[in-house]
Amino acid sequence: MSVVIDKPGRFAAPPRPVWEEPPSKVGLASKGLVLGIACLAILFPLWIVVVTSLSSRKTIDEAGGLVMVPKGITFVAYQELLSGGQVTRAAIISVLVTAVGTAFSMTVSVLCAYGLSRSGSLGHRWILMVLLATMFFSAGLIPTYLLVQTLGLTDSYLALILPSAISVFNILVLRGFFMGISSELTDSARIDGAGDFRILWQIVMPLSRAVIAVITLFYAVGYWSAWFNASLYLNDQDMMPLQNVMIQLVQKQEAPVGLGQAIKTGQLSGLAVQMAVMVMALLPVAVLSPFVQRHFKKGMLTGAVKG
Amino acid sequence: MPLLAACGDSDSGSRDGTTSSKDAKKILPAYVASNVVTPDIPAKNGSAVGFTGKLDLATLKTSVPKKLGKGGKVTVMSPFWGSPPKSDNAYYKAMNDLIGVDVSWQNQDGNTYEQKLGAVLASSDVPDVVVVPGWNMNGKIPTAIISKFADLGPYLSGDAVKEYPNLAAIPTEAWQRSIFGGKLRGLPMPSPWAPSIVPLYRRDIFEKEGYEIPKSCDEFMALAKEITNAKAKRWACLDMKWTAWQAFGVFSGSEKPLWWDMVDGKLVNRIETEQYLEAIEWSRKLFEAGVVHPDSKMGKNAPDPGPKFAAGEFLIYPNNISQWWGRTAEQATQNPEFKIWGMDVWGHDGGNPTIYAEEPAGIFAFVNKKASESVIRDVLAVANVTAAPYGTKEYMMTNYGVEGTHYTVKDGVPTKTDQGNIDVMNAYVMIASPAATLAHPDFPEVAKAQVEWEQRMGAFTKKSAFWGMQITEPNRWTNLANDFEQLEDDIVRGRKKISDMQQAVSDWKSKGGDKLRDWYKKILDENGSAAS
Amino acid sequence: MSHSTVPRSRTEADSTAKTPVASGGATGSSRKRRPGKLSLRHRFRRDRVLLLMTLPAVALVLLFNYVPILGNVVAFQDYDPYISDNGVVSMLHSPWVGLENFQRIFEDSSFWSAVQNTLVLFFLQLLLFFPIPILLALLINSVVRPRVRAVAQAVLYLPHFFSWVLVISVFQQLLGGAGLLSQLLREHGYDGLDIMTDPNTFKFLVTAQSVWKDAGWGIIVFLAALAAVSPDLYEAAAMDGANRWRRMWHVTLPALRPVIALLLVLRVGDALTVGFEQILLQRDAVGPGAAEVLDTFVWWNGVRNQDFGYAAAAGLVKGVISIGLVLAANKVAHLMGEQGVYKK
Repeated sequence: MSVVIDKPGRFAAPPRPVWEEPPSKVGLASKGLVLGIACLAILFPLWIVVVTSLSSRKTIDEAGGLVMVPKGITFVAYQELLSGGQVTRAAIISVLVTAVGTAFSMTVSVLCAYGLSRSGSLGHRWILMVLLATMFFSAGLIPTYLLVQTLGLTDSYLALILPSAISVFNILVLRGFFMGISSELTDSARIDGAGDFRILWQIVMPLSRAVIAVITLFYAVGYWSAWFNASLYLNDQDMMPLQNVMIQLVQKQEAPVGLGQAIKTGQLSGLAVQMAVMVMALLPVAVLSPFVQRHFKKGMLTGAVKG
Repeated sequence: MPLLAACGDSDSGSRDGTTSSKDAKKILPAYVASNVVTPDIPAKNGSAVGFTGKLDLATLKTSVPKKLGKGGKVTVMSPFWGSPPKSDNAYYKAMNDLIGVDVSWQNQDGNTYEQKLGAVLASSDVPDVVVVPGWNMNGKIPTAIISKFADLGPYLSGDAVKEYPNLAAIPTEAWQRSIFGGKLRGLPMPSPWAPSIVPLYRRDIFEKEGYEIPKSCDEFMALAKEITNAKAKRWACLDMKWTAWQAFGVFSGSEKPLWWDMVDGKLVNRIETEQYLEAIEWSRKLFEAGVVHPDSKMGKNAPDPGPKFAAGEFLIYPNNISQWWGRTAEQATQNPEFKIWGMDVWGHDGGNPTIYAEEPAGIFAFVNKKASESVIRDVLAVANVTAAPYGTKEYMMTNYGVEGTHYTVKDGVPTKTDQGNIDVMNAYVMIASPAATLAHPDFPEVAKAQVEWEQRMGAFTKKSAFWGMQITEPNRWTNLANDFEQLEDDIVRGRKKISDMQQAVSDWKSKGGDKLRDWYKKILDENGSAAS
Repeated sequence: MSHSTVPRSRTEADSTAKTPVASGGATGSSRKRRPGKLSLRHRFRRDRVLLLMTLPAVALVLLFNYVPILGNVVAFQDYDPYISDNGVVSMLHSPWVGLENFQRIFEDSSFWSAVQNTLVLFFLQLLLFFPIPILLALLINSVVRPRVRAVAQAVLYLPHFFSWVLVISVFQQLLGGAGLLSQLLREHGYDGLDIMTDPNTFKFLVTAQSVWKDAGWGIIVFLAALAAVSPDLYEAAAMDGANRWRRMWHVTLPALRPVIALLLVLRVGDALTVGFEQILLQRDAVGPGAAEVLDTFVWWNGVRNQDFGYAAAAGLVKGVISIGLVLAANKVAHLMGEQGVYKK
């Protein structure tokens, strides 16, 4: 199961099959046009957000709002936001919750996936059933809410991690991948006296880097994007993660704590501050996901074999 | 519960109803008027008292000679409108030093406060103090107040309150409203019963353009059309629903018991009245005519109107009288032209309006039932400082912060600094306040105009049948009328029709509205009315 | 749990799990031991480490997915969360009201309006959202240059990883009352337009947001199906004189058909769940008349109005219908899947 696909020259076009007629100019142009429009529809809004966040108040006032063409770059909005106020704290909280949550989720999921990956092992069908069934029903918002409250998790970061810690789908993907690993390798290790933990750590995990990268991304994005559980279970405004602060700042158009006056008096553009918060929320995702992208298809498909 | 007016209702074990005035007398704190300062304008027609003089720091009195706080830590959850300051700011520190209690704030967004309130009260860690505005007492919140919060009677009833002289000077009608389930549980924030919602307008632009203050709904509409020029980014107003209630003489919508009044010997709810529908219809026409700023379409999600009002994107909006001064102060240095003023409410047909009285206290602070005596004493120490009257050092600190840091005084005029505008916001005043006071030494003419507005409008103000009573509705009916506000907003914005409202009212009647009417009638028969 | 924050879509999960083309991984059947030959005790000793490894995940699932099911008893109560500090104690002491909550729900016009909104949104998304990933996949598949493919995919996948908060914020900046579109309109002398608060077009807005966020991601499954089509089929078709379009019609589409059918059927099984977070974030802006769906109805009545019994009852009604739909859809999928295999 080769993981390294990054060979030199992987962008070289393969030869066109002899039976295929050469593409018509019109066909090529229209294909390019449609793809171009689709990509533009995604990139153009992001461009505006980034450019506006980097614009001075004067530029924003001249543009009458959002800026499409940059006129000089200033990091003033970011400086203010990151100089240790509400947004700085929220960003740190989001990073920590994402890091701890992802590590926890991955540990639990990898262990479980491996534990279920040997066919014929005791009880694995039952356990799979228990897990799979959850994909088809939900206990409902209210009972879950009452449970979290009864467990005393309100106003605790555990409430942001535990209730959504595992995704059965992700476990299935991992399991499928683990099952595809040649049994000769694991069997010979077992004969050498290696235990399951060691086999998992020294043989299975290194061979599964691609799928682990994909699943880690899935979990991390999940934690990074989450806001609903925080809005439900956290009462202390100082504990709110970045997404919830973004709701306040962008959707309700409130000024960040401590910066209200600077915006009111016009030293700072409220719009640039909003955009800067949005950039902070999208940046990690936009930077990381393309790196993992080439594994998506492989990870998704080799993994998802029905148990 | 012997103190509760036994309504003889079949709700066994429930704690709904009100406390009869006879029973209330036994637990109300004694009233000892404060003689520290005399107001320039005494209260009249339910107005606040007004101070219009200059400020002389040297003559400030001390109303709390000795720190009452025992140095404990008290957590307070309260609604907050605007951007909260950092939690370790200089104002909070100075206040805590003055009181001798370490108050730590959990500020929640005031616009969505009820969402958090329900969750917090149901959890096992209720903060030491929870501030609950009357308009958030929906659903099961009233029963939660009775079961989750401490009886302050042992510390405050009768002469006990004299240990806290500033609390003893809070008017009795405000304390009367603080009795929940037969016990004195709340620390009140007294408010004038004269109307609190003012149609605020840009007086500078009105004068420059020669606009006349409207005297009827038709005049308002004509003016609004004249003002509006969407291409130039100018609209006449925001949603005028709150002013429409006053202009058309709709019963107050602030708290559920005020929704009722006697009409021709019959108890009627505001939603059943003609005036109610007319007021909604008129507000709708404003939206339809395109004279309302587009932000208003967003309803509760609409952004803070301040910046766009300052930018002149709209010229009129109804809001709490406190914004009259708030916006003035906010814009004073940046925008010297800017002048916000309140217009008199007009009767819809051009006559005098009929306005219904607000409650004499609308926001309460409660202490967790599990709090120890020392925590309760510390909370009362906080309240005794925050309830200090105007003209005292404690009032200055509570409302202006630290001299030099949060405000500077020049020629008897205190001016908040940038720091002051960030730090000194609506936090400590929530725990208890003195009798309603309007005093703005920085803008004495605003304070004067505010009090005069209240007194003029107060003359047209009527107390409805249940005014001043603290009534807990039976659980099964508390959510009955929750959706009306949303429905009003939907109709006004053209998303629903007046006929939907008529349908909702008839649903309301059959789902319990008529039974609720009987329930209220019984209270009235047993307790009499305040409006007499 | 509809509000789970982990990226997981029932549709994706199942389609890939059952799609014929998705069987890329070996099932490890060579290692299959025959169970039953060993005693239970022996098997336990052999597999106890494996069982131990599954324990944390199983515990979490039991605690957060199964235990709360019991909490649905509040649907039959006039649940008062304030009787005690503990949800379970409150449950024990709240009065039982039988089916009263359900009766109230069925008489509640706002419940029916939520049902209606949910179904309209479902059909709208089926009609407008569903075909787009298929078309995009065909398009990308026909692009030969790997570099173009890689870049296009990277861009198209990207919004899937954005949070709803961010997506809605972006839309607000572009289409809101103070957004770019209004700004441009006003500059050119037209009235501004506020699409974000218009209840009449709200359902289209929600669909557009879904397309922007997830249509690109949706192509993965179809690309996989396309990749699995043997080039020999194309070559044979080309030899028979079929041109580009005929090859798409006779080779490509039949290859996609089972996937499309499956996704469609599974989506139907999920019909009552339409974008909870996305809609909740915008509910206030357009009012519940246009924006209330079943999930937000539950949230509003439970969390906001503290009418937990009522909200839980509504959630239960939705849950039961959903399970019915899922089972029915699964059945149909199963039948269709078999047909597809044998008819070929």
